[in-house]
Amino acid sequence: MTPPTTDPRLLVHAYLDGELDPANALDVERQLADDPALAAERERIEALRRVIAERLPRESPPPGLARRIEATLGLRPAAARTASHPSWRALAASVAVAAFLGSGGTWLALSPGPADADMIVANHMRALMAPQPVDVGSSDRHTVKPWFNGRIPEAPRVVDLASEGFPLVGGRVDVIGRTPVPTLVYRRRQHLISLSEAPAGRTAAMPPGQIAGYNIVSWTDNGVTYWAVSDVAAADLNAFANAFRAASPEP
Amino acid sequence: MESLNSDDDRARFSTVVLPYLGDAYALARWLTGDRADAEDVVQEACLRAFRGIGGFAGINARAWLLTIVRHAAYTWLAKNRSASLLVVEDLEAVEQQQASAAAAFGQDAQTPEAALIAKADTRRLESAIAELPVPFRETLVLRDVQGLDYREIAEVTKVPIGTVMSRLARARRRLIERIATDEAKGGS
Repeated sequence: MTPPTTDPRLLVHAYLDGELDPANALDVERQLADDPALAAERERIEALRRVIAERLPRESPPPGLARRIEATLGLRPAAARTASHPSWRALAASVAVAAFLGSGGTWLALSPGPADADMIVANHMRALMAPQPVDVGSSDRHTVKPWFNGRIPEAPRVVDLASEGFPLVGGRVDVIGRTPVPTLVYRRRQHLISLSEAPAGRTAAMPPGQIAGYNIVSWTDNGVTYWAVSDVAAADLNAFANAFRAASPEP
Repeated sequence: MESLNSDDDRARFSTVVLPYLGDAYALARWLTGDRADAEDVVQEACLRAFRGIGGFAGINARAWLLTIVRHAAYTWLAKNRSASLLVVEDLEAVEQQQASAAAAFGQDAQTPEAALIAKADTRRLESAIAELPVPFRETLVLRDVQGLDYREIAEVTKVPIGTVMSRLARARRRLIERIATDEAKGGS
C-alpha cells in the first residue's frame, strides 16, 4: 500500500500491520533505526497488539445462535413445526436444506483419492517456483492465523514448532479442486514443508507415499484432513507430522 | 419474507453468511458491550443479509456481513444509547488538537514501557477498549481482535484508508496511555 500520509507515527502502525509496500517499509525501518523514540513507540504498539491477541481471543457466539437464525429465516424447520403436516413441497425443500447443511456446506461432491495428493504436490511445487512460497510471511502464528480470516471460512490450526526444529515460515491459500484451503509453510533446515488443511469430507487421507519425488503424509484429525508435502526425507516429514499432531492447541 | 427468497438464496446464505457468524457476533458484542444485545443485533443483521443476499457481489463475504452488522449495531445504538454516538468529526478535531499539543510523543507523561503493557490486566484492557469512542473502538476491534486488513476496515466503516490509519493509531495510543494511568493509580 502507498500510504496516504508520511507521518512516521502513523506509518509505524501500518508497518507493523504489514500494510506497507517494501519501499515504504524500508523507509520506516530506517526511521526506526535513527529515532529511539519511534523505536520505543514501536515496542509499545507491538506489546499492545500481542497482549490483545493473547488476552482477548474472539468470543464464540452463544451456542444455538446459528440454529435460531436459521429457524427464524425458515432455513431449518423449527422444532414445533414438525408436529404439523408439511406440504410435500416444503418437505422436499427442507430435506434439500438438511442435506445441504449435513454436507457441511460443500455441496460439490468431488471425488477424493490420489487426485487430491497430485494437486497438493502441484501446489507445493508451484509455491517453490514462485518468488516467495507464502502470501503472508511471518514466524509469528498470531500474525499468520488472522491473515486467513476473510480469505477462507475457517482459519487453520497454527502451532509453533520452532523448538522441534520446524520454524514457521508463513501461510498461503491453495486450491484443491475448487476448494480454497489454508496452507502453512514450515522450514526444516533449507527445505520447506507445505501443510494444507482440508475439511475431512473434501479429501481423504491416504498412506504416506511419494509423488514426483516429494514425500507426502496425510492424516485426519477432528474433521480436518492434513496434508504435509516436502522434499525432506520421509523420516523428517513423519517427525514433522508427529510434532504437529502432538503440539498443544493454541491458547 | 420467506417467499421473497428462493432456495438458491437460502443455500447462498448458508455458505456466505453462516461461516462468519462468529465475526458478526464479536463485532456486535464490542459495539453494544453486551452479549444479549449483540445477539439481537446479529439476528437483525442476518435478517437484513438474508433479504439482501441477491445483491452480494461475491467478493468478500466477511466484510460484506460486517458492514451489515455494523449498520444494525448503529441503528441499535441510536435507539438505545444515543449518547454513545458522538459526532465523529468533532471527536477527531479534538484529537487532532491534542495530538499537535503534545509536542513529541516520546516525552509524553503517559508513556509506559513495553514490558508494562505486556502485563496489562485482561479485565482492564477490556474496559479500556469498551471506553473508546465508537469509531476508534470499531477500528481497533476490526484490526486487532478480528484481523481485518486496512482495506477491509475502510470498506466496513466507510472511510478512506488514511482515516482507518489515524483512527487505529489513536485508538492504540489511548489504550497505551490508559494502561499507564491504571498502573500509576497503583496497579490491580
